[in-house]
Amino acid sequence: MITLYDFELSGNCYKLRLLMSILKLRYDIVPVDFYPGRQHKADWFLRLNPFGQLPVLKDDDLVLSDSGAILAYLARKYDETGLWFPDDPAVTAEVLRWHAVADDITSTASAARLALGFFYDFDVPKAQAGAHRIFRLMDEHLWFGEREGRDWLCSPAHPTTADIACFPYVMLSEEGGIGRQDYPALRRWTDRVRRIPGFTVMSGIFPAGQALEIA
Amino acid sequence: MTLSVSDPTWYPIASSEDLPFRHVYAGQLLGRELAVWRADDGNVNVWENRCLHRGVRLSIGINEGGELKCQYHGWRYANRSAGCTYIPAHPADAPARRIQNRTYPVREAYGLIWSAANDEQAFRPFPGAEGHDWFALRPMPVNAAPEDVLAALAGLAPDDQPADLLPGLAVRFGGTYYFVQPVDACRAVIRGLLAEPPAEPVATLRHYNETLTKLRDRLERAARKKPAPEPLQPAFDKVSADLATMPDIAIPKGNTITVVVKRKWTSADGVIGFELAARTGHLPTFQPGAHIDIHLPNGMTRQYSITNGPGELMSYIIGVKAESASKGGSKVLVETVREGDLLSISEPRNNFPLRRDATRTVLIAGGIGITPLLSMARFLDKSSLPYELHYFTRAGETVAFRADLEALHGKVTFHTGVPRDEIGATIASALGQWSMAQHVYVCGPGPMLETVRETAAAQGWPEEAIHFEYFKNDKVIDNSSAFDVELARSAMTLHVPSGKTIMEVMRDAGLTVPSSCEQGACGTCLTTVIEGDVDHQDVYLNNSEKASNRCMMTCVSRAKSARLVLDI
Repeated sequence: MITLYDFELSGNCYKLRLLMSILKLRYDIVPVDFYPGRQHKADWFLRLNPFGQLPVLKDDDLVLSDSGAILAYLARKYDETGLWFPDDPAVTAEVLRWHAVADDITSTASAARLALGFFYDFDVPKAQAGAHRIFRLMDEHLWFGEREGRDWLCSPAHPTTADIACFPYVMLSEEGGIGRQDYPALRRWTDRVRRIPGFTVMSGIFPAGQALEIA
Repeated sequence: MTLSVSDPTWYPIASSEDLPFRHVYAGQLLGRELAVWRADDGNVNVWENRCLHRGVRLSIGINEGGELKCQYHGWRYANRSAGCTYIPAHPADAPARRIQNRTYPVREAYGLIWSAANDEQAFRPFPGAEGHDWFALRPMPVNAAPEDVLAALAGLAPDDQPADLLPGLAVRFGGTYYFVQPVDACRAVIRGLLAEPPAEPVATLRHYNETLTKLRDRLERAARKKPAPEPLQPAFDKVSADLATMPDIAIPKGNTITVVVKRKWTSADGVIGFELAARTGHLPTFQPGAHIDIHLPNGMTRQYSITNGPGELMSYIIGVKAESASKGGSKVLVETVREGDLLSISEPRNNFPLRRDATRTVLIAGGIGITPLLSMARFLDKSSLPYELHYFTRAGETVAFRADLEALHGKVTFHTGVPRDEIGATIASALGQWSMAQHVYVCGPGPMLETVRETAAAQGWPEEAIHFEYFKNDKVIDNSSAFDVELARSAMTLHVPSGKTIMEVMRDAGLTVPSSCEQGACGTCLTTVIEGDVDHQDVYLNNSEKASNRCMMTCVSRAKSARLVLDI
């Protein structure tokens, strides 16, 4: 039985809801009042995750934390197709590289969002500038990917956990005052992510229209 | 050079490749945010990036191929005209407000999308544009003043080949053209074009990208040391009252449009298709279920439903039944109007609005009644909403618009030559039991409409869920009564004798009365009743509207009481 310790407005928690929705997994949710209750710093939560961070996932007796690590775990354990976290050393390195970028997006775009929407004391201009720096790199990577026939962040011809890890805080960047107008290829990639079968929404992340079916 | 918000110059705002189908691109020009999208017919729309409803950005909307839908509140705007085709909170049976989003001029050429802040200048190709197979570089956004970006680009030219400055913030050297898109006073996008596609496209793109990245970094370092210029402040006109106010129900605006008969063909035995095209540009936005009045060469006016799908505004396609019993209207169209002829039509009007919040929509057509329902089916189809279309034709009659119907993805069932006594059962099973948020739309001959209305009512369908359009009133009009009408607003009392309609008597008294079908089918002459007992003989109102005694059609309805007081 899978249990997700979840805060609905957290992009990091949403990453797991998204993958579990795509993989059609059943799970329970234990809501954690991250804001304003700060329950992720409560004693009972720190006993689950001493790092005091959401999300936490319990699979029977196994307790896991860190959204990127949990994405890898869920894909390895429950994705029978093996596509979401492919078993190839070079691709694993690629996926983990983008998991690290996802953490950089969290520490910039998500930090700006926490400051503007949740009254956290962060340096907003610095966080915004950092997010723009990453988005520029992603846009360039994705733009050349389109020219080279690659639709996703990593080289396989299908999405991986890297796309899920990077997606939420790109989509929520406007809440941190970070526009995506300068990143057209990044915006097209978010359309593609939102068209993955099993895609689910969260507050601030809405579905994309249907792709044109070429008959 | 100082940037001006009213600069009429055409600038590139996107690459053609930035606009895949079913995507909405976010752009900006001279401080104005733009929502740019390519419709399924290839047409590119450049609109102000705001939904007129609450100002939510349209660049987060859904490109449905023929319409752009605002995700927050569900408003829809049509390809080409940007006319609003659906307002969710609007009562379903109210007429559409004539709302149009703000648009900007657009031209797709040389691998780029071009636009301008206003329509003051015609689009002109840049010098040397013709005769090349242009290849667009990766656009490079720069946080620096557009003039500084242009100067730096000119500085890229080799010493022995000085840059050639072109109008519109453009520069050329070697075979490369650079255009600076003035996003705002402190932001720009560099858009490069090569005169021919290179032998190794990706390597070439990477090479230019590297050069422009270095240029960008240098420009941004310099810009950070200067005080940032004030962003441009474009002023937006208010939406005109004409566009923003509710029009009176179904009263023709009186505006006519001249159209060319582009194509005339036999769609089925006895059904002639007409394609009516605008002489220039596109025709007005219409809603699914809408019709136009055609002013015929013999002076008659007849209504025909538009069969088009969303955003198809280059021409309207109608179907005309060429029956011998015709009173003359359709006969004239079928027999005398030829391809190339000009016709005068009204703006589209809608007495048969389609809800788009239904969980299940059932469309039932009989014969030529397919025309409004074909349009509805196309709208539902494009939006991937669930619907079932049942098309009844008599034995021997052939199915009109068959290829168009077969191209739909929804459930389309052809019922051909169903015996009269089995039609009821077929309709009953097509409808099923009603449940919440199901709607049925029916158009066809009178007896069939009655069968659908009765069957639906018997299976629990409430009146609000049954939507119908008669294309004519088959009832025998009893005009034997005589009574007085008091016209409250005109302060006039008229006597209506037997053998004359209220409308005729009002016209004899010098009043201008809007009318269209003059047989109680179209709703044009709908009038509010203040006092009196109405003898309804129309097929436009539903039973509860008739029972309310609050409204009537002056073309066929009469009074049961000695006196009627009308709000005219």
